[in-house]
Order: sequence, then structure tokens, then C-alpha cells
Amino acid sequence: MSATFLRMALLVSLGLCALGILWRVSTWFRVRIGPDARTIPLHRRLSAAVGGAFAALFSRRTPGILKAFVLDVLLQRRLFADSKVRWLGHLFILAGFLLLLVMHGLAKLVTLKVFPAYQATLDPFLFLRNLFGAVTVLGVMMVMGARRHRPASSPIVRRPGDRIFTALLALVLVSGFLLEAQKVASPRAFYRMTKEYLDTTDPEETLPLRTVWAAEYGVAFPDLQGTPDPDKLAEGRELHNDACASCHTRPTSAFVSYPISRAMAPVVETLDEADAERWLNYLHVFACFLGLILLPFTRFFHALADPVSLLANGAASTGPLSPAARATRRALATDACVGCSLCDDRCSVAPIARHLGNPALLPSHKLLATRDLALHPHSLDRVDAHARRVAEGAWLCTTCGRCTERCPVGLDLADMWDAGKGDLAHAGHPAPAQWVQERTALEWADSLGASPGALDVLRDAASPLSAHRETYSACVQCQTCTNVCPVVAHGGEEPGAIDLTPQKVMNLLRLGMVDLALGSRMVWNCATCYQCQEHCPEGIRVTDVMLELRGMAYRSLGQSRERRQPE
Amino acid sequence: MTQTQTEPKVWDVAVVGAGMAGMATALFAAEQGLSVLQIGNGGGLLFASGLLDLLAVHPIASRRLWGSPFDALAAIRRDQPDHPLARVDDATMRAAYESFTSALGAAGLAYAPLDDRNHLVLTSLGTAKPTYGVPRTMAAGVAAMAERVPCLLLDFRGLREFSARQIVATVGDTWPGLRSARIEFPGAEASSELYAAHLARALESHETRDKTIALVKPLLGDARAVGFPAVLGLGCSGVVHAAFQAALGVPVFEIPTMPTSVPGLRLMDALEHAVVARGVHRLLRGNVTSAAFDDTAVLSLGGVPGGETVSARAVVLATGRFTGRGLVAGQQRITEPVLGLPVQQPASRETWHSRDFLDPAGHEVNRAGLRTDSVFRPFDATGRPAWPGLFAVGSILAGQDWMREKCGAGIALGTARVAVDQIVRQLGAR
Repeated sequence: MSATFLRMALLVSLGLCALGILWRVSTWFRVRIGPDARTIPLHRRLSAAVGGAFAALFSRRTPGILKAFVLDVLLQRRLFADSKVRWLGHLFILAGFLLLLVMHGLAKLVTLKVFPAYQATLDPFLFLRNLFGAVTVLGVMMVMGARRHRPASSPIVRRPGDRIFTALLALVLVSGFLLEAQKVASPRAFYRMTKEYLDTTDPEETLPLRTVWAAEYGVAFPDLQGTPDPDKLAEGRELHNDACASCHTRPTSAFVSYPISRAMAPVVETLDEADAERWLNYLHVFACFLGLILLPFTRFFHALADPVSLLANGAASTGPLSPAARATRRALATDACVGCSLCDDRCSVAPIARHLGNPALLPSHKLLATRDLALHPHSLDRVDAHARRVAEGAWLCTTCGRCTERCPVGLDLADMWDAGKGDLAHAGHPAPAQWVQERTALEWADSLGASPGALDVLRDAASPLSAHRETYSACVQCQTCTNVCPVVAHGGEEPGAIDLTPQKVMNLLRLGMVDLALGSRMVWNCATCYQCQEHCPEGIRVTDVMLELRGMAYRSLGQSRERRQPE
Repeated sequence: MTQTQTEPKVWDVAVVGAGMAGMATALFAAEQGLSVLQIGNGGGLLFASGLLDLLAVHPIASRRLWGSPFDALAAIRRDQPDHPLARVDDATMRAAYESFTSALGAAGLAYAPLDDRNHLVLTSLGTAKPTYGVPRTMAAGVAAMAERVPCLLLDFRGLREFSARQIVATVGDTWPGLRSARIEFPGAEASSELYAAHLARALESHETRDKTIALVKPLLGDARAVGFPAVLGLGCSGVVHAAFQAALGVPVFEIPTMPTSVPGLRLMDALEHAVVARGVHRLLRGNVTSAAFDDTAVLSLGGVPGGETVSARAVVLATGRFTGRGLVAGQQRITEPVLGLPVQQPASRETWHSRDFLDPAGHEVNRAGLRTDSVFRPFDATGRPAWPGLFAVGSILAGQDWMREKCGAGIALGTARVAVDQIVRQLGAR
């Protein structure tokens, strides 16, 4: 492989990677998440970011930024607080990969400058490269192990490039170790060196040196199996010390590659004939290049976005962010999300997600859905099952804030959900309590009556209260529920806020007119304070019935609403 | 808040029911220093009017009205020795009313001082109802009606259960100075329908009160008393009532409205407050599903998460009549569903009711109920007390017609007091 070609390929990959990063970074200023972000022009967001960065750098907040860099970016203290295994695994990957990149990948640029005597085949570098590689592999295994036992209801979010990138990373590591092992065992590599340094490739002439390298350096010469000849060994050592020792440590310190080379020894000649070293080299290098190009389009882009996000957190002043800064931070957050799913594990509504079989309720999934809607504002124009699942995810969130609290990269997810809800409402998917007001209770009842089967959901096992007349048969219509209802008490201030009073809802149920109750304002404006239920002289579970009606209405009216959509 | 028992405990008294009789029992027992568990919610109290009858009519066939409830008690002891009230002596009855009303007073629901007389209270139907204990907010109405002073009755547009004009139309013939007027309730001008409890809560704010007073003042004229529907405050009716009286410069009184009413809510809140303040442990959602009696009573509860049993040395059944489901009317027979006690009742369904709905003698079914000994221990099938520590109090008892006799609270408070006194004696003797 010619050096020029390699350099060209490297430059092209670097260029593409830079373009990719630029494009991704540009989305931080272009993507508009949340209704408040819609009116802010690009230049305001840019100037807010640049201005904010400068203001932070030349202010008393510099120590805060420094602290954020050390504690949050380098030491990952938020992850440490959450999961020690993941923290250690992540640290291993981060440290192993970075050190490999600097010492091995950028050997000419960095290592040689610092250690002029650097040789990849000399200790400690030989040992360190194996160590860094091994640490990276161990880190990957730890992180994957920590994520392995996930319930099916809570899958890990993935972007399209994620698996390819992971495969490339594995390819780089594996090919690196194989390449080193092949070089250790390969007679061909040996002759290449003797040609260069001793100007000979004659097996007989190099026999003493070969004896040393077969016995102590792991080269698999087919004719030198078994116990070495002591005379030849002594003779070879002399030559070795003169010609080779200054650049070669015994490969046993390559504690990963050396055992592999032992395993490869029996077939090493075949591999040599197949030019394995060259192909492994190509594989190793081009996997690196391809990874470089793909990096900005996978979740591993978080390696760049996270430090920016964490530093921005460290730099932020105590007051609330400006709308322009907030809009940028939201877009940045969609890139900074690692997809680690720690938020999903702590989500308050995770049990509901499990019950509904709808992972869209989980934060890490919601984050991507929010971003998707911001990128494609018309993607949810149709009211269908997909849109319902996404909306369900947004509106069932209790805004408890546990995801924000737990995010290892400190994303303000609570703000993101607020913004996402605004976008959903704008896209025609407001909260159920909102869309139910699109029609009156009577109109809803008509639409239910017009669509056969819509009322079936009212009769299933999930509505144990409403389905049984015993629940409300004791009602004497005494109005106590209405009398104590704070929603009715305040409903007078707004015309149409209350269409039926609680005791009228109970009466409809008594009369078997559930369909009329479902879309009523009373059912949907109920504050579930339980005053009615606690006061009911007949012990009727008024509030429980209201809640159940709401659940039934969400399903049945939601179906009716979906059906109404034009194809 | 309901709380569940964690450690096994034997209560001195388990009260089943939280109506007037159940509350009185819990209150009296706690005042005697007994540990009390009360099972059931107090919703039934909402049907109360806030007036505490003792005994006003006897015999019901002749509808004889008694000026003094204690004279009436003496008469009933003579005429109907099986009547529950015949087993409550005057001193016990007075003690019951004193401690009951003072507990209510301490909980913010003051009553006019008790004398030995029945009082006539003007109702929202325009009728005069004889009663014994009158809430202080209604007391001025008793005097105003007795003396027929010039009086202004007010109502609010949208409050459907109360019409001042209808009252004047009914009693105006005998009360020439009685006028009516209708005003808008401040802040509810847009509402077509008003609910009494909402108005009562709204009037607890200065602002609404001042606006209402400003609307009433120009209408006063020669009125020497002003009557309102019973909506003058909920938790602090005393304060609201006093504020109206001070601002208007004439006696102000409330007229009880149809159940369920604000005075009923006040009574329920005040009683709940009073029993909890005295350390009564309440299980609001529980209901007794079965019971076993041995050295102590063991009650199994339904409606409590996880289900559980409670033990007590004495059990007081205060589950009421048909609306409280203390008695259940089947096709042929009336039964007592909680403990399955025998119910004294007419021989057959045909004799439950008189042919005449308004028969002055009432209906046989209304006198059905539990038979007990003289301290209200209900009988089993053999005619003996079912268990020494089991009592039944209040309207579930046989031999009375509290609605026609105007003695609902009298039976509740009197029988509760007798039972608690007996429990104290029995537990002391152990």
C-alpha cells in the first residue's frame, strides 16, 4: 500500500469526518425543538452561543468550567454516582481508546516527538499497546454486560449507524491484535527485516539468527521446531544484539497478541502466502477511516457533543437560560444523549410503558421522537397508531424530573419534554384532555354510535367499575358529590367548563348511557381530589369511576378520532 | 386518613357505623377513656339537617306535639315500654346532649343553649319543624317566627333547592311582616345553577361576604330579622354568621335546606373532627364481613387492602336502617346483614305498609328492627343477648318511628350513651 494512497485516504476521511461534524454541529443551531424555538432566527442562536461562550470564558465562571471539565468530562462523576460498573467500563473505553489513538495512531505526530527512541516493538510501548487495547476491550465488555439484561419492554434506542460503528470498532481492535500476532509469527516479516538490515534472505545464512528468533521471538519457521541448537543460538545471539536488539523486545510482553501468534503458528505460512499481513493492515486502517467518516452520524458522536454540553452546563450562570440558548441546548441534547438508557431504568412511568407495551414512554426513546418531529414537522400529520404511541409517550410523562436528575451527561430533559409536548400539540396531538374538547359529549356519543365496535372497549375486563350496575345502583342523586366538587364550584367562572355535574354522570351510568359520559367535560376536568368519593353517603366510588371513564374514553374516543382522519 | 393496624391490638370498643349513633358512641366512649375503633365513613350524616331532635311527637297517630321533650319521654315510658327511648332516663339523656353539643361547639359548630323545651324552626318548605337542639346560626329564626317580627327572607338566583318566595307564600298568611327578596350571588352571575356548599365556602371569604352584605342592606327596610338559606359558611359558620349579623345590625338566621345540606356537611365535618381529636381510630373504607365472638369479638373486614381482622372487647352496631344498609329488605323478610341478628318485623310483607301512604299511624315496617335488653344488647334467636359485649344503638332498633316521632338524634344519642355507660361498667368489672 503506497504511503501516498494511505495519506490521501486519511485526508479524505478526515475531511468527510470534519464535514459530518460541521453538519451535526450546524443542527445545534438549526433544529427547532419547542414552540418557543420556532420564532428565534439562526443568527440569534449563533450569537447567543458565541456570546455566551466568550462571556463565560472571561468571567468568574472559569473555575466552574474547569471543574466541569475535570469532574464531569474526564472523571464522569455523574456516571460514577449512578453505576460503578458502567463508570469503570466507560473510563476503560475512554482511556484505552484515547491512549491507543495518541500513542499508536498518532505515533509519528506525538509519541516520536516526546520519546525519540519510540519503537512500536520495544517495551514499554509493545506492552502498553496491548494493555490499552485490552483495557478498551474490557471496557466494552463491561458496558455491554451492564446493559445486557434489559427487559424487552425497555429496548435500547439505536441510530442507524450505531451497529455498523460498533462493528467497525470491534474490527479495528481485532484486526490490530491479529496483525501484530501475524507479524510476530511470520517468517516472511523476518526475511523482510533481514533483507533491510543484513541484506540477506538466505535461510542457511540467517540460520543462527533464525534460531534465536524461533526460540525467543516466536517466529514460526517450519524447519526450526523443537529444541534449538545451543551453538547456533549463541552465534545468533551475537548477531541479534548487533542488528535487532535495539528495536525489538521479546514479544511475550505483547500479552494479547503473543498468545494469538502461538495459535496462528501452524498456519502462518499459509497466511504469509495469502499476504495476510497486508490484508490485515488494510482492514485495520480502512476500518479506522470508515469509523472516522461514520462517527458524526452515530451515537458515538456523544464523545464530542457531551463535553460541549457538560462544559456549557459548567459555564451556565445561575439564572434561567435565554430562549435562544435554550433552543440551542435542546438541539445539542439530542446529540449529547449517549443512549445509555439509565434514564429509562429510573423513569417513573416505566411500569406503565411495560403495561402498555409502548417504549415511546421512556425518556431515551422520547428524546429521539422529539428530535424526529422537530426535523420532520409533518411526520405525525396523520392521527394513527404510530402518532398515538408517540403522543402517549409525551403526555403520560408525569414530569417527575428523575430522568433529568439521573442523566449522566447532565441533560435538561425536563425542559425537552416540555418543548416536545408543545410541538406535539402544534402537530395536532394535544393532551387527551385537550383533544376531547374538539367535540361535545353529545357529538362524541354520536361518533361512537356511528362506528360499530367502538363501544366494545367499554365492555372489556379493564372497566370493572363502570361495567357493573352495583357500582352506582345505590346512588340516590342527593347531589353531595356535586356540592363538594371544587371543579363544579369553579366551573361557573368559565362558560362550558362543566357540562355535567358528577351526580349527572352517575345518573347516565345508571341509565346505561356510558357513551354520553365519556366525552363530558366533567369527566375530563375532574381534579381527582376524591372529595365526592369521601363524602358520598352511599359509598359510591365516584372518583374511581371518573378515572375509569377517562381511561375508557381515551381508548374509545381515540379510536373514533383516528378513524375520522382522511386517508 | 385510614390507617391499618400493624400490631395485634384488642380495642375496648369497635363501633360499626359512622352516622349519628355511631359518631355519638365513638365520642362518648373516647370521652370515657376507652380505646375506640370506628369502622365506616360518615357520609350518612349528610342527610342530617343539623337540628338535634329529642322527642316531639307522641303518639304519632294523634300527632300530639310536646312542648317539653322530657314530658314526652315520660309519656312514652308509660305508653310504650318497648320503645328504645323508654329505656333512657332523663339524666342520661341530658348528659348525652350536653357532651355531644359541647364537643360540636369545640369543633366549631356551636348550638344554642339547651333548655327543656322543643323549638319550632322554619324550614325551606315553609313548615315549622319542632326540634330540641338548634345550631346557633339558626337560633334567631326561632324567636323571629315565635314573635312574628317583620322579617326579610333572602334567596340566591340559581340556588334551586331554596325559594324565599315559596316560604312567604306558605306562611305569609300568619306572618304579615314576612317579605322575600332574590339576589345574585357575587361572583356567580354567569352560573345558571348554584350549589349550596359552594356558596358556603365562598362566603368564608371577606370579599364575597362584603359584596353580599352590600346587596342585602338596601333591601332591609323595616325588617327586624333576616333569614338566609343555610349557606353561611362551612367550617367557620360561627364567624360568617356573626359577621353578617354585625354588618346588617339585625338578628340573622339560617333556614335549613333540603338534604343533603350544608348543615349536614358541617355536622359531618365537626363530628369527624371531634372523634379524631379524642383519639378514635377510624377505618373509613372498611366494612365488616363476618364476626366471631368468644372472649373478645373478632371482626373480619372487607374493603381494606389486604383484608384484616380486628379484635374488640365490645362491639356497637350502629349501622342504621335501610338507607344505611343496617337493615336490608328482601322479597319477604327484613334481615340484618352484618351479624345476621334476628329482626323484629311484621309477620308478612302484606303488613309492612298501611294501605294509606299518609296514614297518621305510620307503617309497620318503620317499627321493624333489632330487639334488645334494657342496655341495648340485641337478642339472638333464643331471645337472649347474643353476646355480653355486643350492643346495637340508633335507628336500627325496633319499636320506634323516629321520623314521625321527631326523635332521630334522641334515639342516637340516648341509646349510645346507655350502651357506653354499660360498656364502661362491664370493662371495669373485668
